[in-house]
Amino acid sequence: MTKIGLEIHCQLTKLESKLFCSCKANYREFEPNHNICPVCMGLPGSLPRLNQKAVESATSIALALTCDTPEKIAFFRKNYFYPDLPKNFQITQLNVYGDMSVGGEGYVRVEDKNIKIRRIQLEEDPGRIIYEGASERTKITLVDYNRAGTPLVEIVTDPDFESPRQVRVFLNILSDLLENLGVAEPGLEGAMRADGNVSIEGGNKVEIKNIGSFHDLEKALHFEITRQQSLFERDIEIAQETRHWDDRRKITVSSRSKEEDQDYRYFLENDIPWVKIDQSTRDRLKENMPESISSKKERYVEKFDIAPQVADIIASDRYYSKLFESAYSDHNAKDIANLITTDVIGFIDTKEKQENSKITSEHLSELIDAINSKTITRNSAKVALQEIMKSGKNTKDVLNEMDLGQVSDSSEIDTIISQIFEDEKQAVIDAKERPETVNFLVGKVMQKTKGKADPVKTLELIKSKLNQ
Amino acid sequence: MVDEEEIIRVAELMKIDLEEHGEHVSRVKKMLEYFDILDQIDLSSEEITAQQKSLNELRKDEFIPNDKKLIESLKNFREHYVRAPKMN
Amino acid sequence: MNLNTSILKYIEDVKSGTFTVEEFTTETLQRIKDVDSDVHAYLSLNDSAINDAKLIDQKISSGEKIGQCYGFPISIKDNICITGTKTTCASKILENFIAPYTATVINRLQNEDVVITGKTNLDEFAMGLTTEFSAFGPTKNPWNLDYVPGGSSGGSAASVAANECLASLGSDTGGSVRNPASFCSVVGLKPTYGLISRYGLISYANSIEQIGPMTKTVKDSAFLLNVIAGQDANDDTTIDNNNVDYLENIEDGIEGKKIGIIKEMTTSEGLSQEVSTATKDAICDFESLGASCEDVTLPTIPYTVAAYYTITSTEAGSNLARYDNIRYGYELESEGYEYNSYISKSRAKFGPEVTRRIILGGFVPSAGHAGKYFLKALKVKSKLISEINKAFEKFDYLISPTAPVQPFKFGEKIDDPVTLMLLDYNTVTANLTGKPAISVPYRVINGLPIGMQIMANSLKEKSLFQSAYALESKTNLPEVPL
Repeated sequence: MTKIGLEIHCQLTKLESKLFCSCKANYREFEPNHNICPVCMGLPGSLPRLNQKAVESATSIALALTCDTPEKIAFFRKNYFYPDLPKNFQITQLNVYGDMSVGGEGYVRVEDKNIKIRRIQLEEDPGRIIYEGASERTKITLVDYNRAGTPLVEIVTDPDFESPRQVRVFLNILSDLLENLGVAEPGLEGAMRADGNVSIEGGNKVEIKNIGSFHDLEKALHFEITRQQSLFERDIEIAQETRHWDDRRKITVSSRSKEEDQDYRYFLENDIPWVKIDQSTRDRLKENMPESISSKKERYVEKFDIAPQVADIIASDRYYSKLFESAYSDHNAKDIANLITTDVIGFIDTKEKQENSKITSEHLSELIDAINSKTITRNSAKVALQEIMKSGKNTKDVLNEMDLGQVSDSSEIDTIISQIFEDEKQAVIDAKERPETVNFLVGKVMQKTKGKADPVKTLELIKSKLNQ
Repeated sequence: MVDEEEIIRVAELMKIDLEEHGEHVSRVKKMLEYFDILDQIDLSSEEITAQQKSLNELRKDEFIPNDKKLIESLKNFREHYVRAPKMN
Repeated sequence: MNLNTSILKYIEDVKSGTFTVEEFTTETLQRIKDVDSDVHAYLSLNDSAINDAKLIDQKISSGEKIGQCYGFPISIKDNICITGTKTTCASKILENFIAPYTATVINRLQNEDVVITGKTNLDEFAMGLTTEFSAFGPTKNPWNLDYVPGGSSGGSAASVAANECLASLGSDTGGSVRNPASFCSVVGLKPTYGLISRYGLISYANSIEQIGPMTKTVKDSAFLLNVIAGQDANDDTTIDNNNVDYLENIEDGIEGKKIGIIKEMTTSEGLSQEVSTATKDAICDFESLGASCEDVTLPTIPYTVAAYYTITSTEAGSNLARYDNIRYGYELESEGYEYNSYISKSRAKFGPEVTRRIILGGFVPSAGHAGKYFLKALKVKSKLISEINKAFEKFDYLISPTAPVQPFKFGEKIDDPVTLMLLDYNTVTANLTGKPAISVPYRVINGLPIGMQIMANSLKEKSLFQSAYALESKTNLPEVPL
């Protein structure tokens, strides 16, 4: 049986400042080495100052993942030399004197299985090596420290996954959860990264590092499982080791580095006192936590009778669920949900579009009301939405300006139908013989009225005219 | 007990080229031998403790740009990047 | 003009117009010129000292608001950062390091209008007890130039003792303020851990060290603590002292107070006859001041030096890892080296003692050895804290000689690491427990000083000063023969 475990790193990019200093947490907007200060550069004499909200955000994540949260948390130093590490140690957490990281054991439900979370810790991201001189020709390494000190949450799972597919489902659930909590933006480049470990029945555990994206993770896991299986079949021992994902060749490569016998000399970071997090603080964080995705989904299905697939789509996305929650009233919730999943999703399909969209919950309510009162057709609603997304104008103005009001006056529709019966003689004959082809004629009417004709009334009128 | 080889290995781990080991080895050895006194005290009931603070005493999450162009006061920087030697 | 004056007397004289800040500064700089080639207390001087003094004089004459320090000259141990000035830690590895920011204590001093004379010598990265481990040569004891001034804040102590300034800031990790204070006959305070911000103090062993004032009198020490103590947003380990005025009621005396004489420190093997006799005299003095003295035993003390060196090496090994010569440091062309060989080559610039402590620091907390050394050391610390807290339930003060011996000659003890470590025997307890301790000049015997150490419970500095002032008033010490 294949066993896969994960170590996920997620930046808390929704914070304003870094974990131990007041530089910007989201370093992406700066010129290289322009988001640094004596603290995150580890200059002699500087001291870390722990970010309160970072502790709160990390604790919220722990609570959301049903992890145990301790009364006191402590920080430790992980000592090793690397050019992206300004102090040549990383401030992180460790559970050696009892549970002292922000989160202990918890679990995530993935399909029919509970994936166990082993621990959650808060730590600092290193800087970035922009260019690594490794060949004979290149003699230097270039480093950008803007990222150094960015708050990072590490989530470690037990080796509970049985397939790379399960890993993918889990990571989707986890990213949705982190985004829903409002603490992270998993979609940002480099904001969420994962390392994996793999073992097959009868073999040793192999760690895979240096994986750039979730997409690559899945590929790396597949490659590694296949590699281990083929070794096993040939009766070759699978060595316990750390391998690196070679992104260019799409294979895992044994690390020649002495990472295994690296001794990190973990010990307490005494520049940061142990932080007391009392029960009332945890209660407050729990209370302020947004509703979980699964509970939202359940509520949508039960309360509004929305189809589970539709509920799932809306609940999993912060933008859609926010739009939905503020737009629904009990009588039209289902219609709004359908409008979102059939129409809105079609053209607001990226984070960027979500950010720029000017659609409000009022727009949705008003459009649904207009459809239900037969003032406009569904088709017109879609056209209106596209305009509203760009301009944000109020619904009435858009419907008027674009002349989207529904044509439900029988005599007007009748005139158009007579015209079409003249133009499409063959179709009329066909429709008389085979009633299922009547939709062609309905379509013609809609075309002529630019989708404004009341489709129910149109069909009725065509049918009665055919019977004449 | 610690020997010359081990001292050299630890020095390497701590990234220091030792030009001569002799004196360092004998002095470090003497210090470690002295530390053996720690074996003679009963510490079975002791727990490790530290200074404590409550959550709300910590720094508030606020972005304050560092006003100085810190990078320019450091050495080894080239077109905004810090220059380090090549990796292995 | 008498340079051998206290801060408080100096302020009176400036206020009354006896001399100007500029006059006193000029005289002080002249004194440095005259004696420092012998003493070598300073590593660098502040070029703008005279200018700074002039500005303060202008403030005074124009009636502008003036800080409470009135421009008294102060020296700063060269492990505390001041923007735009060299901060070397007496190490070749930071020989050219210009600090791009200023320590909190310096900001507080400057806000109260001091004149900084310069940066003083120390054992490299504050690791040592004699200043013999300074990469730029040792400081001499102003009482006798053949003798060590103590360390690691030897330059600070000597600069005050030799009248090259009125006060200095040192740092105390295991006695580095109190030991040289004792050896040079000045007052040295190691405050409660967290009372003074360490922001800008270059870390050696951050869990136990504190900056401390070094002054000519106990009152000056209290005055200086008033200026620099208190919570700092840049240091999460600082604690609120409720703006206590340490000078207020300093003359209240110690009538009726209970004093514990730490037995382990007054009967130890290494204690010299002269120091032992002086301690007995001090006990008599305390009793004549109305306090009651009684022996107290803290059984963990014999293990403290081993625990201290284990903890400090571990933290030093980590704190000094950042000196890889990549982001700052000295010029060493990286071409031709790969990363590991480059930083190893660069770090070969550490002096011998620092190198050894770093090696120890790689050893004692390592996975295979932490159980034998590092974790035990932390538990010794816990045990000692319980013991001393218990002692303070009964006693107001705990006393001992600051150092077991008087100053010794250069080269005399440097060859034996264990002898050197044991010089810390009386001082490390205050660091491991976080308690405040002060060294008060008490005797000069055979031309060499002896200091007495008084310890009090956490945040009891005010009471500590009262006892120190009372003891000081019982002494009548000669002037430094320099």
